[in-house]
Amino acid sequence: MSEMTIHLKIWRQKTNKDAGHFEDYTLPDVNEHMSFLEMLDVLNENLMKEGKDPVEFDHDCREGICGSCNMVINGRAHGPKLKTAACQLHMRTYNDGDTIVIEPPRAAAFPIIKDLVVDRSAFDRIIQAGGYVSVKTGAAPEANLIPVEQDTSNDSFDYATCIGCGACVAACPNSSASLFTGAKLSHLNRLPQGNPERAKRTVAMVQQMEEEGFGDCSNYAECEAVCPVGISISAIAEMRREYVKALF
Amino acid sequence: MKLDPKIPAGPLAEKWTNHKENMALVSPNNKRKFTILVVGTGLAGASAAASLAELGYNVHTFSILDSARRAHSIAAQGGINAAKNYQNDGDSVYRLFYDTIKGGDYRSREANVYRLAEVSNAIIDQAVAQGVPFGREYGGLLDNRSFGGAQVSRTFYSRGQTGQQLLLGAYQAMMKEVHSGKIKDHQRQEMLDLVLVDGVARGIITRDLVSGEIQKWYGDAVVLCTGGYGNVFYLSTNAKNCNVTAAWRCHKRGAAFANPCFVQIHPTCIPVSGDYQSKLTLMSESLRNDGRVWVPRKKGDKRSPNDIPEEERYYFLEERYPSFGNLVPRDVASRNAKLVTDEGLGVGETGLAVYLDFRDAIKRDGESVIRAKYGNLFDMYLNITDENPYELPMKIFPAVHYTMGGLWVDYNLMSNVPGLFVAGEANFSDHGANRLGASALMQGLSDGYFIIPYTVGDYLAGAKLPKVDTEHEAFSEAAEASKGQLDKLLAVKGKKTIIEFHRELGKILWDKVGITRSKEGLEEAIDEIRALRDQFWKDVRVPGDANYYNKYLEFANRLADYFELAELMALDAIDREESCGSHLRDEFQTEEGEAIRNDKEFAFVSAWEYLGVNGKLETKLHKESLIFEFVEMKQRSYK
Amino acid sequence: MPSLIEALMSQVGRKILTGVTGVLLVFFIIFHLLGNLAIFGEPDAMNAYSHFLHQLGPLLWIARIGLLLFFVVHAWIGISIWLNKRKARPQDYKVYSTKGGPSRQGLSSKSMVFTGFVLLIFVVFHVNTFALGDMNTVVVNGVEMHDIKTLVLDTFQSPFYAFGYTFVMLLLGAHLGHGIWSAFTSLTVSSKKVSAAIYTIGVVISVILAIGFLFIPLYIYFGGGCEAALIQCN
Repeated sequence: MSEMTIHLKIWRQKTNKDAGHFEDYTLPDVNEHMSFLEMLDVLNENLMKEGKDPVEFDHDCREGICGSCNMVINGRAHGPKLKTAACQLHMRTYNDGDTIVIEPPRAAAFPIIKDLVVDRSAFDRIIQAGGYVSVKTGAAPEANLIPVEQDTSNDSFDYATCIGCGACVAACPNSSASLFTGAKLSHLNRLPQGNPERAKRTVAMVQQMEEEGFGDCSNYAECEAVCPVGISISAIAEMRREYVKALF
Repeated sequence: MKLDPKIPAGPLAEKWTNHKENMALVSPNNKRKFTILVVGTGLAGASAAASLAELGYNVHTFSILDSARRAHSIAAQGGINAAKNYQNDGDSVYRLFYDTIKGGDYRSREANVYRLAEVSNAIIDQAVAQGVPFGREYGGLLDNRSFGGAQVSRTFYSRGQTGQQLLLGAYQAMMKEVHSGKIKDHQRQEMLDLVLVDGVARGIITRDLVSGEIQKWYGDAVVLCTGGYGNVFYLSTNAKNCNVTAAWRCHKRGAAFANPCFVQIHPTCIPVSGDYQSKLTLMSESLRNDGRVWVPRKKGDKRSPNDIPEEERYYFLEERYPSFGNLVPRDVASRNAKLVTDEGLGVGETGLAVYLDFRDAIKRDGESVIRAKYGNLFDMYLNITDENPYELPMKIFPAVHYTMGGLWVDYNLMSNVPGLFVAGEANFSDHGANRLGASALMQGLSDGYFIIPYTVGDYLAGAKLPKVDTEHEAFSEAAEASKGQLDKLLAVKGKKTIIEFHRELGKILWDKVGITRSKEGLEEAIDEIRALRDQFWKDVRVPGDANYYNKYLEFANRLADYFELAELMALDAIDREESCGSHLRDEFQTEEGEAIRNDKEFAFVSAWEYLGVNGKLETKLHKESLIFEFVEMKQRSYK
Repeated sequence: MPSLIEALMSQVGRKILTGVTGVLLVFFIIFHLLGNLAIFGEPDAMNAYSHFLHQLGPLLWIARIGLLLFFVVHAWIGISIWLNKRKARPQDYKVYSTKGGPSRQGLSSKSMVFTGFVLLIFVVFHVNTFALGDMNTVVVNGVEMHDIKTLVLDTFQSPFYAFGYTFVMLLLGAHLGHGIWSAFTSLTVSSKKVSAAIYTIGVVISVILAIGFLFIPLYIYFGGGCEAALIQCN
C-alpha cells in the first residue's frame, strides 16, 4: 500500500450570498485504496481538529447510485474516469504530488448552497412537469397484460438508469439539461405504458427545462462522456424527434 | 403503555379484505380538509405520499436529501418478491407468507406477513404500469429469478438496480402530485421532534438544513418513513445520511421501539480495506446463485487462491448445509463466515474475508454468460478493490445491512402514539428476526401504496381531532428543545471529532452486539457505550454553527441519538435469552453452532418504552405475545 | 401544445432550425463546389455555367433570398445560443477539460461560433468579390456573358486572396466537422447504434468539401489554368 501527498485547491463559499474563493490544502498520507470522498473525509477531520470549517459536499450512498455527489474535479465532472461517479473514484487514479482542483457544478440553474453543495431542485421540477406515467395507486392492470418487447424494455432501462446527479449540466459548455430530460423521455416514451402521455410529457418537460435556465444543447456529447451511467446522447436526438412528433 | 396489535379476527386469508371492508371512510370533500405529514421519501414515503395525495389529502413531504429520488431505497440491487407464480413452480401467496415468516424465525406477526404476501402482486402491477423497466423474457413477459434462499423463482428485477427503478417509479408518482399541488415537497429538511397535543401526534419540528431555521409543521397524522438505523454501527451498507433521529425522537415522545437488537448482517459485502473506510459496499446476494463460498482448509494459507487445489478448499456452506448450500439465508451465511474467520481461516490482508468464487460457474457457463448476469457487479468490485473477479475469486465479508427492529406498530401500521404511523424499514413489522432477500422493497411499497392509504383514512375518519395550529405551546416547547440540543452540541467545543466517536461506538457494537452476542460481551458493551456517551457530551467538537448548511452538525445530532439507541440494542439483546434469526447468543446454540430458539419464553415482540437518560438509559420492556394460529413453529433447518 | 412559433423558438425548435438551415447550406455548398469544378472543364464551361444560372431569372432570386434567409437564421440562432451560454453559466470554471471517450468536444465543436462568424464575414466579402465585382464580358458561341472565369483567375493571383481563401476553407471544414454530425443529432436522425458512424461520415464529407474548395485558389495561385486565361501568371 503506498501513501502519497496530494495538494488540493477547493472552492469555498459559505452561503449563496457570500462570494467564493479557492483555498489550498495539502494532505500528506493519502492511501491509494481510499475513495475520493474518503480523502475529503480525512481532509475534513484535519480541518475540524484545527478548528476550521470542513468542506461541504453532497454525498450519500457512496456506491454510485444516489446521484448526490457531483463535483468537478480538475475540470471534469466526477473526475477523470469514464462511467464513474466521484464516490466510486479511488485515489489510486492519482500520483504522489498531484494537485487536484475541486469545484462545484457551475450553472445558473444550480445555485450554490455551500462550498461544493448546490441546489438541484430544478431537476425535480422537470420531472414534475411530466416525467411520469399517470396511474393512480390501485388502478394498474395485471402486469403481464402489458407485454413489452425485450429490446424495448432493455433500451428503456438504459435510459432509466439516470441517477440525476447533474454531471451532464456541469460538464456541458452550455449548461444544458438536455441529456437529463431526454433520458427520462426516452425511458417513458418508448414503453406502451408511457405512450398515451408522450406528446404532452415531451412538450411539458422541454418547456420546463428551458424555464429553469439551462442552456441550449450544441451536441458536444460531453454529457455522455461524464455521465456516470453512460447515458447516450441519442436520448437528446430522441427528445427532439418526440418533440416534433408531439406537434403533429 | 398498552400495546394492542389490533389484528382483525377471521381466517388468515380474509383478515385484510374484511378489515378494509369494515374501515371507516373519509368523504371526498373532507379529505381535502386533512393534512398529512410524510417524513422520509424513500420507497415507503414516496409511495405513501403519492397515494394519499391521489386520494385528495393535503400532503407535506420532508426529506433530508436534496431530492426524494436520492433516498437509500435507490441502492437496493437484487429484486422484489411477489407471489405471481409466473414460473409455474408452485408459488402462492401462502408460500411467500410461509417463507417470510419462517425466514424471520417466527418472530413476526402472522397477520402482517400474510398481508404483505397478499399485496405483493399488486405492487408488481403498479410498478409495471408506472413504466418500471423490469427484466423481461424474449416473449415480452416479465422474468423472475431465484433469490436469497427461496426455492421458487419469485423475484422481479431490473438488472442490478431494482431499488433504483422502483424508487424512481414511486418518486415520479410523487412528483406528479407535487405538480398537481396536493403534495408540498420540502427537501433538505430534517425532522427533529414529534409534536404531541393531548397525547396525539399533531405535528413535527424540522430544521431547514440550508438556512438552519427550526420550523414547525402541523398535521392531522404523521407518517414516518425514515428507514433503518444500521448506521449506528458507523460502517454499514447504508448511505451516509441514513439515521435513526426521527424515529428515536418519536420514541422519546412515547412511541415504543420494538426488537432493536434484530440487525441484519449481509454476508456478501466488500471487506474493509483501511481505517479511513467510510462505508461498506454490498455485492448483491444474487452472486451466491453462481459463486461458491470457501476458505482454505489450512490456517494462514497465503497461496494465491487459484493455486489452492480443490481438496484443500473448505466450501463451508456447501459442506454444512448440503440442501441449500451457498443459498442459505443471510443470517446463516454471515454467521458461518464469522465462524471460519474466528477459527483463523479468513483470507486477505486482514484475515476478515472469505472467497466467493466464480471459477466453476465461468467454466460451466462461459465468461459471457456470467458477464451478462453480473457484469455491473463485477465491474463495481474491480473498481473498488482493483482485483479482477473474472480471474481471482472475490473477497467478501458480512456487513450491517438492514434493521428488522424499529418503531412498534399495530396491524394498521400506527404506533402506540395515536396519529403516528410508521412504514417501511422504520417500523418493525414484517421481517421478524431476519429479513429474506428481495423483501425490503416489497415491504416498503406494500406499506406505502396499499396499507397506509387505507389505515390513515380509517384513523382520520374516526379520530376526534381538535383544531390545532403551530401557535400551540406544544410546538414551541418542542422547537425549543430541538434548538437546545443543537446549541448544547455546539457548546461542547471539545477535541475529538464526531467521526472518531462514531467509529468507536460502531466498533463496540460490531464486536459485541454484532453477528454473535454473549451476555458478558453485551454487559461490557453497555458499560463502554455509557462511558463513550459521557465522553461524547464532554469532548466532541462540532464545527461551525447552526444557522447555515452544516453537515457535521447534522451528523453530531444524529450520533447523539445513536448513543442512546446503542444501549437499547444491547439491553434488548441481553433480554432475549435465545438465538433467533439474526440474533445469535453464544449461550444458546448447539454444539455445531446452530441457533436454539426458545419459543416457549420468547415468542414475543420486545417493545421498549423510553423513560429517560440519566447516565444510563432508563427504559421499560413491554411484550407483545406472538400467537401462531396458522403455522406451526418449526426449527429452521437449511441442512 | 405550443404554437408553431413557440415550438420553433424552443430549445428544440431552434436546434432543428439550425440543423435544417445547416443541411440546406451544406447542399448549397456541395452544389457550389460542383459548379466550381467547371474551371477544370472546357475553357468556356465556367462562364457558360454562370450564364446559365443568371438566365434562371426569378428562380435565381428565390434561391438567393432563400440562401440569405438560411444563412441569417443559422447565424442568428448560433449567436443566440452562444450568448445564452453566458447566462446559463455566469461563473466559469477555473479548470475545465473534456473527459474524452464519446465526447465530441474539440477544436471543431468549440470553435463553431468563431468559424461561423468568420464564414459570415467571408460570405459578404466573397459575394462582393465575385458576384458584385467588376467583370468584363465575353462572347461565347455568339452569346454575351460575364467573364467570371477571368475574374477568378485574376483574383487568385494575389497571395492575399489565394491563402486567405485557403484558410477560410479550412475553417469551413472545421465548422462542418462538428456541424454535419450535430445537424443529424438535431434533426433526430441518430441512435446509439449509428451515432459514431454518422460522426465519421460527417468528418469525411467536411474534409472532401474543404479540400475541394481550397484546391481551386491554390491551383490557380501556383499556375494552374494560366494558359487558358491568357493572363500573367506567377
